[in-house]
Amino acid sequence: MVGLTQTVVTAGMGIALIGISYWLFKVRKEKRVAADGGVQDVVDEEGYSHHEKPSGIVRWLTTVDHKDIGLMYGAYAFFAFAFAGISVLIMRTELLTPEATIISLDSYNALMTTHGTTMLIVFGTPVLAAFANYFLPLLLGADDMAFPRVNAIAFWLLPAGALLIWAGFFLPVIEPSRTAWTMYTPLATQSSNAGVDLFLLGQHLIGVSGIMSAINFITTVFTEREVSWGELDIFSWTILTQAGQIAFAFPILGAALIMLVMDRNFATTFFAVDGGSPILWQHLFWFFGHPEVYILILPPMGIISLVIPRFSGRKLFGFKFVVYSTLAIGVLSFGVWAHHMFTTGIDPRIRASFMAVTLAIAVPSAVKAFNWITTLWNGRLRLLTPMLFALGFLFNFIVGGITGVFLGAIPVDIYVHDTYYIVGHFHYMLMGGMVFAVFAGFYYWFPLFTGRWYDEVTGKIHFWLVFVGTQITFVAMLIMGWGGMPRRYATYLPRFFDMHVLATVGAFIIAAGMGVGLVNIVLSWMYGERIREGDPWDLERDGLKTPDWDWFDENRVEPLTDGGSETNPIDSNTEGEQ
Amino acid sequence: MDSLRRALALTTAGGIGLLTLSGTVAAQSTSRDLIMGLNRNLMILAVPIGIFMTALLLYAVLKFRNREEPKPTGESKALEISWTVATAAILLFVGLSAYGVMAEPAVTAPKTVEEVEGDPVEVDITGQTFRWIFQYPEHDVTTPDTMVVPVNETIFMRVHSRDRIHAVHVPKLALKSDAIPGQVNTLQTTIHEEGNYTLYCAEYCGRGHSKMYAEVQVVSQAEYEEWLADKQAEGE
Repeated sequence: MVGLTQTVVTAGMGIALIGISYWLFKVRKEKRVAADGGVQDVVDEEGYSHHEKPSGIVRWLTTVDHKDIGLMYGAYAFFAFAFAGISVLIMRTELLTPEATIISLDSYNALMTTHGTTMLIVFGTPVLAAFANYFLPLLLGADDMAFPRVNAIAFWLLPAGALLIWAGFFLPVIEPSRTAWTMYTPLATQSSNAGVDLFLLGQHLIGVSGIMSAINFITTVFTEREVSWGELDIFSWTILTQAGQIAFAFPILGAALIMLVMDRNFATTFFAVDGGSPILWQHLFWFFGHPEVYILILPPMGIISLVIPRFSGRKLFGFKFVVYSTLAIGVLSFGVWAHHMFTTGIDPRIRASFMAVTLAIAVPSAVKAFNWITTLWNGRLRLLTPMLFALGFLFNFIVGGITGVFLGAIPVDIYVHDTYYIVGHFHYMLMGGMVFAVFAGFYYWFPLFTGRWYDEVTGKIHFWLVFVGTQITFVAMLIMGWGGMPRRYATYLPRFFDMHVLATVGAFIIAAGMGVGLVNIVLSWMYGERIREGDPWDLERDGLKTPDWDWFDENRVEPLTDGGSETNPIDSNTEGEQ
Repeated sequence: MDSLRRALALTTAGGIGLLTLSGTVAAQSTSRDLIMGLNRNLMILAVPIGIFMTALLLYAVLKFRNREEPKPTGESKALEISWTVATAAILLFVGLSAYGVMAEPAVTAPKTVEEVEGDPVEVDITGQTFRWIFQYPEHDVTTPDTMVVPVNETIFMRVHSRDRIHAVHVPKLALKSDAIPGQVNTLQTTIHEEGNYTLYCAEYCGRGHSKMYAEVQVVSQAEYEEWLADKQAEGE
């Protein structure tokens, strides 16, 4: 029966996909699209071209404009973030009591799996691509990405992949995957649930999408760049390095996922105990998985390196060293994967060499932190929302970095491996680091992509709630992890009760902050004060204006024909929506 | 800039100074002794560095907020090199001290019992969904859910799995090893304190993962022998 259901679902999916692609093909045929920025460019006799985009939903379905795609990446990432965020709130509520009271053990394990995979793969990598899509061409002075259509394909694979990953929650006959995001074999091969196969294939699609967009970013930086290498900004450097990492790491994930699908369905034995090796999966997975965490942190570091100087009124200190450290991290990140496997019984000599690389990668990370702090020194700090998130990042990065060095020391790692200490540590880096940087970048560029101001006071409330919640939640996790509390536990011993309650309280404070942020974003996007000047952050004053704001000045801010009176009825942000 | 460099040097020197004062830590087992000792050494470095970095950040934020004019960013290769070298030196210290502890058999156990000094108590620990089984090969005793071992004796454990990956995790004794099907991992320790310690499964293994507990009972040599005799009698 399971086999039959599986076949029916697979066939149904296939037919649906063919139908969708046929429809898309038809739509695309009707609107012939040039691959030069996306839309029919009408060039008048003076050689000036202006864009004409189709209206309504067709615009968004057919667009190959990097800015539109960037916005769609952002909208998609928002839903993924909300999905994973709500799933963790349900888990944290469940963990208010030592026994499973609200949801079953199975539901907990399914939510735990989807939280990890969604945050890292469905949300994490794409949300950074949202920034890269929108701002990389602007920062480079390029018209668009090198391959605008590949860019669109890469985006459209994402919703499909996400739906496959979450399919088990929505489809009636299939259960969600409960393999944990690491999908360790033989557990992942032992479950006959078809939801696991969809989960794997969904990740594969998102991996393909990631590789496509990475190739696009690399090519764009090399070929579409209007600035010299010496003038390349720090964010573009981090995107270039990250894209290189993706190009090397994601194919490994893709191959490993297919091997796992084959082990599950076609009786191959790559990861079987007899004839294969369960540990092989861990090597392949972490060969992708560790670069992945740097894939998630490098562009945020780029955003921080861009935001901190602009709100300090002085250039980034040691620019060259920040770039070198980015490249160093990019290379070293491929040499540390086995530090996730110190307790698997691998040869001590191998462990020692991985410990050496793991500690070595802390050097470029620390160099960045010192450079950021020195940039603040003697500056003129403007503590506005983007800067607050950047400073919050800096603090969380220090805590995450120091707890990380402890994990680099193998004996300590053995003690805390697979406990909440690990969970606390990497959430300091991913939530406290990456997500904070995403909000720093989001608020920094909000005037650029909406043409409006966000509300500053609400932005600060958003920051403080998320910051305080992050400290409470993840410090509680570090403490209970040090006390031995294992991770991925749906139930726990009463001795950990206090810390679990504290972590849940913190999680809800974060959620409240995110709610405030959401209200701010929606209301500001709709009704916020319009931007009247081409340089809303007043970057020119200290000579820190970047090409993205030049573009904004030229294209999005209407000329002040009437002296800039407040009652000007013309929408200053209609260019992109015609 | 100079003040920054001075502070950096001072913290490094202070950390190393404090380090020499640290002695050994009394703990429940030799494994925990070693790991907590290492952790304490690392803490003596990490806490001042963490406080120093945070203080630097806070000071910068409070002092330079809403200033009139920023000073232009200079360049200082010396500063860059000094903090790179300082970080590298600290991490080298972390690596060396961790390596020294790692080489101890109570942290990295030998692969076979023949390599263990003296006459250790041998236990085979087997994880299976969702239980732990303990076997004493020298005495032909098998028992689920509770491992009884004598205090102040070397204990050598072989960790197996019957189905999927589990992990032995006894935080109070600082014992941790994955249980992997088709593979034998080993642990070695000596426990100094009688009492009961919780053994958790630390590697996610499915539905019953969070209920896969066992108990480690550490008893006197006499009680241990009595317990073994009882178990052997039960078996016959």
